[in-house]
Amino acid sequence: MRAAVAVAVAALALAAPAAACRTHASQSHLETLLVCLECHTTLDESNSPFANQMKADVARRIAACQTEQQILDAMVAQFGPTVLSTPQTHGFDLLAWLVPLGGVGLGAAAIGGGAWHWSRKRGPGGSQAPDPALAPEDERLVDDALDRFDV
Amino acid sequence: MRIVRGAVAAAVLALLALLVWDVAHGHGPGVAQKVDAGKIVAAPALNLPRIDTSGRLSLASLRGKIVVVNFWQSSCVPCKQEARTLAAAARAWKAKGIGVVFLGVDALDLTSAARGYIAHYGVEYPNVRDATGSTYPNWGVTGVPETFFVDRRGRVVPPHIVGGATRQTLDEGIRRALSS
Repeated sequence: MRAAVAVAVAALALAAPAAACRTHASQSHLETLLVCLECHTTLDESNSPFANQMKADVARRIAACQTEQQILDAMVAQFGPTVLSTPQTHGFDLLAWLVPLGGVGLGAAAIGGGAWHWSRKRGPGGSQAPDPALAPEDERLVDDALDRFDV
Repeated sequence: MRIVRGAVAAAVLALLALLVWDVAHGHGPGVAQKVDAGKIVAAPALNLPRIDTSGRLSLASLRGKIVVVNFWQSSCVPCKQEARTLAAAARAWKAKGIGVVFLGVDALDLTSAARGYIAHYGVEYPNVRDATGSTYPNWGVTGVPETFFVDRRGRVVPPHIVGGATRQTLDEGIRRALSS
């Protein structure tokens, strides 16, 4: 009976940390979010000794029940924000997101402006505007020239 | 249309300015290449956090001493092979009391791994941590290990050891730095 109680108590003691760590961070996902600073590729694409060291460190942290964010924060604390495969959305890194968006906006504005300018040149009917009428003198000369071709 | 043309011209000018800035601030050849050509050059600034203890250490603070600067990484095999030689040489030169110090620069490494390395190989001299390898371009380091000798006037003098150092190459470098 005593042995059964001891086993039950031990099981409960061991079960507590396991329960606390029920949601594990994903090693493979973290390896896509972190960059090997030596080879400049994400960890999942690198097998360099340094990348392997980082992978082992990530695995140790996962085993220690750290969340994905805690692991990323620890890596940033050690190596700076360049260790992240995607730029952060605050501070100077925000420019990495804003500049391409600004470029797309400028491109759209240029295309829109160009289209507007072109449509104004073509006129409201959508067809090419008619050539201006000939001066009476020119019209008479054209008529004379055409008359000469009449049989 | 004039606005669009202006915006495009401004964007092109901005990109050109960025290119000029990058070229102007780019790193020329590092110290290593010059030293390998037999030149004596001023040591690049080096001011980094310590691994073995708290605080920072700058190379400038060691002016007046011969400094053996060793770049290493805990996952590098040749670094491990030379580690005990460096530790022994550092102890031997320290015992002479003539102002020769060793300085380890651990680049692109995990702090925990670096501390384990230092403890494992009995490294007693100061070590600093360059988390992102930012010192490599100025020093011209292309891999680890590499070792430089800085004389009492803060100048890097030949030779520059690429790969594992031996007790003989270390002693020779220190003697040349002492006589420069």
